[in-house]
Amino acid sequence: MALRLLTLGSRLKGRLIPLGSAGMHHEAAPVEGTREMVGYGINGQPVYMDRVDFPMPSLRWKEETPDVLALREREKGDWRKLSIEEKKALYRASFCQTFSEFTHPTGEWKSVLGYTFIIVGCGVWMYIFMKFFVYGPLPDSFSEENRRAQLRRMLDLKVNPITGLSSKWDYEKDDWKK
Amino acid sequence: MFRTLAFRVNSAIRNGINVNKASPVGVVNRCMSHGKTETDEEFDNRYESYFNRKDIDGWEVRKGMNDLCGMDLIPEPRIIIAAMKACRRINDYALCIRFLEALKAKCGGKVNEIYPYIINEIRPTLTELGIDTPEELGYDKPELALKTVYE
Repeated sequence: MALRLLTLGSRLKGRLIPLGSAGMHHEAAPVEGTREMVGYGINGQPVYMDRVDFPMPSLRWKEETPDVLALREREKGDWRKLSIEEKKALYRASFCQTFSEFTHPTGEWKSVLGYTFIIVGCGVWMYIFMKFFVYGPLPDSFSEENRRAQLRRMLDLKVNPITGLSSKWDYEKDDWKK
Repeated sequence: MFRTLAFRVNSAIRNGINVNKASPVGVVNRCMSHGKTETDEEFDNRYESYFNRKDIDGWEVRKGMNDLCGMDLIPEPRIIIAAMKACRRINDYALCIRFLEALKAKCGGKVNEIYPYIINEIRPTLTELGIDTPEELGYDKPELALKTVYE
């Protein structure tokens, strides 16, 4: 087992880079493959990413296969002689997605909305369950008669006589002020 | 002990006040402005001459384009023309298309006003160099879908 691990390790060693070492920026070959590094990129790392605010990443998207290299030779000549297919192939060799593709709406909002409604729905059913099986009946003070008595008492106590409840009550006529 | 302390504090405060008094009144020292602000004209000239440099390489072209895309502006057509010619010199066709797409994205809500104007202005250069607009390549609509990496 240990021998197996050792041989596996030595086989991997050729491709791996020491992670976390200070000089790994440009030597991080496994990301690049045989891709041409064509710019500084957003942070100096050989990383490909389609971004609206930073459209030209540091790497070309496709590796340098023979057909891509052949296209590059054709590219050095007159561009008017290139066909539409060749132009598109050149674009796709340099970039993964076009702007209209990576800015296209993903439709993710639908699943977000759906999951939100599912969770809210569960909450409502939990409330209904509690209402019917857990909680007792409401206290007496919620009945119409008791609430009327409470209001009467508040008026008798002259609650908030300047701007509030009692200021709207006419004590001489024993009715609301008109 | 308190006497000493009081003297110390007293003299320190006096010194502080005196320092304030000693500073010349009426001389305003503005430390925040470094040189003069670049005018729009100078900005355009700077970028046009940047892209017009004969020995510009791909790194510099990309740097200029990425910088322009990061700014709150849409470059003048003459800058774009210079950039297209720079792409021609470094033999990178894809870069032209990408830059045009990026410009279109920068037009934002006024894409129907600004983008046709830009294309109209740079049309002679596009024809001369044989560059197609993204629309002519069919890139104004999504062409390919990416397979999701999460499944």
